[in-house]
Amino acid sequence: MAARRRVLVSGMGGDLGSRVAALLEQEDWVGELVGIDRDPPRRRLHRARFHLIHPHDHDRIVDTVTAFDPHVVVHLAVWEPHSRANPATARRYTDDAATSFLGAAAECRSLETVVVRSGIEVYGRARGAPTRPDEDADVAPTCAYGKTLADIERTARAIGERVGVTVGAIRMATVLGPHVPSPLGRLLRMPVVPFSALADPPFAVVEDVVVARAFVAAAHRRLAGPVNVVANGAVTALQAARRGGRIPLPLVGPEWAVARGVSAVLGAPVPDHVMETLHRGRLADNGRMGELLGFTSPTTTMEVIDALYAWPSVVRVPPRRAVA
Amino acid sequence: MSGTAADARDRRVVTLPVDRRAPTAPADPGAASHSPGWHVDDWGRDPVLVGAAAALAGLRWSTTVGGTDHLPARGGALIVVNHRRGALTPVHAALALGRATGRPVRFVGRTDVAPLGALAVRLGGLLARPDEVAGALRSGELLVVPAAPTLDPRQVGRVDHHLVGAAVATRTPVHPGAVLSTPVRRAARIEVGPARRSSRHRRGPLAEVELADEIEADIRRMLGELGGARTGTPLDWLPWMGGP
Repeated sequence: MAARRRVLVSGMGGDLGSRVAALLEQEDWVGELVGIDRDPPRRRLHRARFHLIHPHDHDRIVDTVTAFDPHVVVHLAVWEPHSRANPATARRYTDDAATSFLGAAAECRSLETVVVRSGIEVYGRARGAPTRPDEDADVAPTCAYGKTLADIERTARAIGERVGVTVGAIRMATVLGPHVPSPLGRLLRMPVVPFSALADPPFAVVEDVVVARAFVAAAHRRLAGPVNVVANGAVTALQAARRGGRIPLPLVGPEWAVARGVSAVLGAPVPDHVMETLHRGRLADNGRMGELLGFTSPTTTMEVIDALYAWPSVVRVPPRRAVA
Repeated sequence: MSGTAADARDRRVVTLPVDRRAPTAPADPGAASHSPGWHVDDWGRDPVLVGAAAALAGLRWSTTVGGTDHLPARGGALIVVNHRRGALTPVHAALALGRATGRPVRFVGRTDVAPLGALAVRLGGLLARPDEVAGALRSGELLVVPAAPTLDPRQVGRVDHHLVGAAVATRTPVHPGAVLSTPVRRAARIEVGPARRSSRHRRGPLAEVELADEIEADIRRMLGELGGARTGTPLDWLPWMGGP
């Protein structure tokens, strides 16, 4: 891209969104940078302009986006179930945001490329599904979150075909980071970690900084199509628990319902896509990352898991005195 | 600044406690004391379990492996072997070839039903899907693909041309492999042949169909050259009679 581009980041308030924005601020090709979210950014941004707008406020989003007329839209406004909202709310927010942002982007005459957040949950884990699907594998999600992500991809692709812009999708593995509200990360950090005694299948994760780089690279390179963003290697829940010094709890069948309930009460609710990960595994082929994005994950799944257990816990500080 | 103003400012500053506890887990990934070296690879294969399975397989089979010099030292290759029904030939061949080559060797044709499917994943099993085989070959893996099972150890079943097509699509060499074993004898033999190229230049799917047929013929010929599997006695189970 020769001239500096106007970049819109939806979901800039979240950890991933603000991390992507911080990286975009350092890019020479980025001119104006605007973000929209229902929460303020989690880190200090210097160049970006931020608009606090709720995803259901369709008219304000459309007005803000069309007035900005971006060249590049990075759509990160996706709520993973039980990360910051319960599954029903997460689905509603995500649908509202996709409709508003992608619909508004289609009205922008300067639009050149759209990059959307997706996940390897779109491949599904039905019986007989590929163990380590690549980007050409069928999109056949088998969990609610996967269906949500597949819908976003489909919507974005349809808009791209309609208005003639490139559409890229970052299909990321479960993202872990010290400030990322991940249901799987929370579960693995519990003192007792349940795992499937009959399967204990392998899954892959990825570090938040790698995913943020992936979005920036995809926007810069005008990614046209999906790319799996996954750390090399794999781990099972039992291995993760043992590496973290947690007590592994083997479960076979009906007791999973009890374990989910107890885990939810203790602050780590387990959504269905995490249940699917624990029972059927979740891997993906990251062989095209280097070709499409220009880099591969420098950290392995095992290193990300080790880092997960090395991050300090949240320190809750009670208020000492009332502030007038 | 007057003392009163400084005192007032100090009163507004709230000092938060700092958590100085050591992290629960060692920060160094290699220092995990609970499970040193216990990991699974990109496809879920567990080298520790594979080593244990190879040791168990050594109790059942005394396997002689030949022709591994035909296999590439690096990069992917597809080894198509004959399959005696009920003999776990793909697993046996993958374990024996893995031990002979020092590389991870995976087998194609695992089930996807727990717990057997999960166990097969740990042993390096892949589903018999062309996309799965193609992905593994692109990643530079050595794969053992069985032909259709037969009752006669000297016969070769049909070779799935869709799986061979995955190798054609990824430009990976395809090797014939003959596995000779019987239900009663302990001695077994695995011979890998040189990479087979299709004798005709085809642009379409006939390339894989014809290559699969030629591989099948190669395995049949190699089995014939290996000699009679029906000769010999179960006496090779005795320690002083062991050996192929």
